[in-house]
Amino acid sequence: MSRRRVLAVVRRIVAQFRRDRRTLALIFVVPIVISALLGWVLRDQQTAAVRLGIVNQAGPAGQRIADALLAPGAADQAGSAGAVALPSSTIPESTARSELANDQLDVVLVIPADVAGGLASGHGVRLIVITQGANAPVEGGQVAQVQQFLARAVSSIVPGSPGLPTIEHETVFGSPSSDTFDALSPFFIGFFVYFLVFILTGISFLRERMGGTLERLLATPVTKGEIVLGYTLGFGIFATLQVIVLMAVMLIRIDVPALGPFGAFTLGLAVPSVGSPLLAFLIAMLLAIGAVSLGIFISTFARTEFQILQFIPIVIVPQGLLSGIFWRIDTLPALLQPLARVLPLTYAADGLREVMIQGRDLSAAGVQLDLGVLVGIAALFVVLAAATIRREVA
Amino acid sequence: MTAPDGDASPSAPAIEGRGLVKTFGPIRAVDGVDIALRPGRIYGLLGPNGSGKTTLIRLLVGLARPSAGEARLLGHRVPSREMLARVGYMTQADGIYPELSVWENVRFFAGLYGSFDRTRLVETLRVVDLADRLGTPALQLSGGMRRRLSLACALVHRPPILVLDEPTVGIDPALRVQFWRHFRALAAAGATLLVTSHVMDEADRCDELLFILAGRIFARGTSAELRQRAGSENLEEAFLRFSGDGGDVAQPIVSRGGAA
Ligand SMILES: Nc1ncnc2c1ncn2[C@@H]1O[C@H](COP(=O)(O)OP(=O)(O)O)[C@@H](O)[C@H]1O
Ligand SMILES: [Mg+2]
Repeated sequence: MSRRRVLAVVRRIVAQFRRDRRTLALIFVVPIVISALLGWVLRDQQTAAVRLGIVNQAGPAGQRIADALLAPGAADQAGSAGAVALPSSTIPESTARSELANDQLDVVLVIPADVAGGLASGHGVRLIVITQGANAPVEGGQVAQVQQFLARAVSSIVPGSPGLPTIEHETVFGSPSSDTFDALSPFFIGFFVYFLVFILTGISFLRERMGGTLERLLATPVTKGEIVLGYTLGFGIFATLQVIVLMAVMLIRIDVPALGPFGAFTLGLAVPSVGSPLLAFLIAMLLAIGAVSLGIFISTFARTEFQILQFIPIVIVPQGLLSGIFWRIDTLPALLQPLARVLPLTYAADGLREVMIQGRDLSAAGVQLDLGVLVGIAALFVVLAAATIRREVA
Repeated sequence: MTAPDGDASPSAPAIEGRGLVKTFGPIRAVDGVDIALRPGRIYGLLGPNGSGKTTLIRLLVGLARPSAGEARLLGHRVPSREMLARVGYMTQADGIYPELSVWENVRFFAGLYGSFDRTRLVETLRVVDLADRLGTPALQLSGGMRRRLSLACALVHRPPILVLDEPTVGIDPALRVQFWRHFRALAAAGATLLVTSHVMDEADRCDELLFILAGRIFARGTSAELRQRAGSENLEEAFLRFSGDGGDVAQPIVSRGGAA
C-alpha cells in the first residue's frame, strides 16, 4: 500500500468534483432544500383541532380530572387554543371506540381505574390515549397535540404538580407507532448519505470503466486495494461534509420571518437529539464506506449512467422500505424479515435512532451490534468491489 | 512469480511472446504469436480492426493472462507489477479524465508511478505541445489534443518500453510528424516502442513491421522488404497479398537487419 498512490487517487476525485458544480449542489444544497421542505410541511402544517373524547374509568376521582379538563377555558389556559376540540362530557368506552372507528373522534383519552392510586402514591398520572390506528404519522401528531394540551392542563389542575402524565398509546386498528417525524430524521441522514454516495461512486467508476481510464490505471503499479481505498477516502471527504450539513439541518431550527407575500417559515428541523453527534457521525460514515464499494461493485453491471440509475429501485428503495423505519422489522412478512436484517441501512437507521433519539452510547448492546454489522458489511462490499476490478496482478 | 526470471541482458529482447494464444469463447483473438522485440527500435503492429492488435499488446504488457504461451518484458515473466512500472501504455481510448485539467491529468498518472517531478512533467507536455495549456480542462481540448495528452500520460515516468495503441488516430499530419520524431528520439535513447496502426501510410516510419490478421502474425520485416517480397510498391497491396494466400505464416521471416 503506497500512501502516495492512494493520495493521488483521492486528490484526483476531489479535483473532479470541485469542477462539477451541479454535483456539488446535489451533495450540499439538495439535502438542505429537502429538509427545509420537510420541516415546513411536517412542522408548520395547518393543524386541525384534534377532536378529543374522554372516557372515565376511575369513578369520582377520575371525574374530577375530567371536569377540570373540560372546564371552560382549560384549553385556552393550556396555551394551545384550537389545538384540541373538547367534548361537553365524558362518554362510555364503547361509544368512544365506535366514534373513533367512524371518524367522529380523532383521539380518545382514557382515565384508567388506577389513576387515583397513582396520584396518591406520588408515582404520577398514567393516562391512555386511543386512536384509530389507520394513519400512524397523522395520529402520532394528534397524540402529540393532546400530550401538549395535557402537559399544560394537568399541571395547572393538580396541585403540587405531580409531573407530566405518562401517556400510553393504544389504537383501535393495527398497532400504535411512535414514529413521528423526530423518529424519521436519523433515517433521513442515513438514507441521503447512502443514496448520494452510491450514485456518485457508481457513476464515477462506470466512467472509469467505460472511458478507458480504468484500463490505464491497471497498467500502472497501483494496486486494487489502493484504488478502492482512494475512492473510499475521496468520497469519504464529500460524505463527511454532507453528513455535517445534514446533521446541522436536522438539529438546528431557524425561524425565517414573514417577508412581503411570503409567510414565515422554519429552516431546519430542530430534532431534539440527545445522543452524541460524533457517534451518529461515525455510524453515517460506516454506511458511506459501504456505499462507495457498493457503487464500484454495481458499476460492473451497468454500461451507461442511465443504467446506474436503474439500480436505485433495486438496491436503494427496498433498503429504505425495509429499514424498519416505516414498518418495524418484526411486523414485516416473515419472508422479508431475513432480507431486512442483512441490509446496511437497517442497522444505520437503527443505530442513528438509538444514538440521536434514545441517547444511547457505545456501551449499549444495540449500538455495538449496529456498528459491528456496519463494519462487517462495509468490509464485505470492499472485497466485492476489489473483486470486480479485473486484473491479473492484485 | 512462478517461472524463473531471465536476465535482462542488453541483447535480450525487451518484449517477448512465445506461443501466445488468447481465446474469448469461440473467438481466437490471438492465435499463436511468437515475437521478440529488441531495444532501441520501433515496431509497427499493422492489421485491420478486430485483427487482434489490442488483445496482443494487452497480453504482452501483462494486462491479460494468455490462454496459452507466455510473455516477458525485459526478461521478466508478466503479469508483474514491477514490469508495469517500466511500461508506458497508451490505450486506444484516450483514457484521460475530461473534468481534470491537462496538468492534473499528467500529475495524477505521475503520482501513480510515484515519479512526480514538476520540470520533467512540463518537459513531457512540451513534447506533445501542450505546455501552454496546463490549466485547460481536458473536456475543452480538441480530439487531437486529447490524444496528445493521452500520450503524455504514458510518458510521465520515462519508461524503457512504450506500447502505443493507435496513437496517431485523429491527429493532423503536422503533429503526426512531430509524434514520430519524438518516437524516434525515444528509440535512439534505447527505448523499445510497439505501435499499432490500421493505416499503412505510417508503416514506413517503423524499423520493422508485423502484419496481423485473425490473431496471427503472418508477415514481418521492414517496409521495403515486405513490399519487395510481395512484388508491390504499395504496403496495402503487400498486406492483401500476404493475407490472401496464407502469407508467410508457414515460414516466418524475422528481420534481423538494422535498416530503418
Ligand atoms: N474482452 C473481450 N471479450 C470478447 N471478445 C473480445 C474481447 N476483446 C477482444 N475481443 C475480440 O477479439 C478480437 C480482436 O479484438 P482486438 O484485439 O480489439 O482487435 P484490434 O485491436 O486489432 O481492433 C475481436 O474479434 C474482438 O471482438
Ligand atoms: Mg484495438
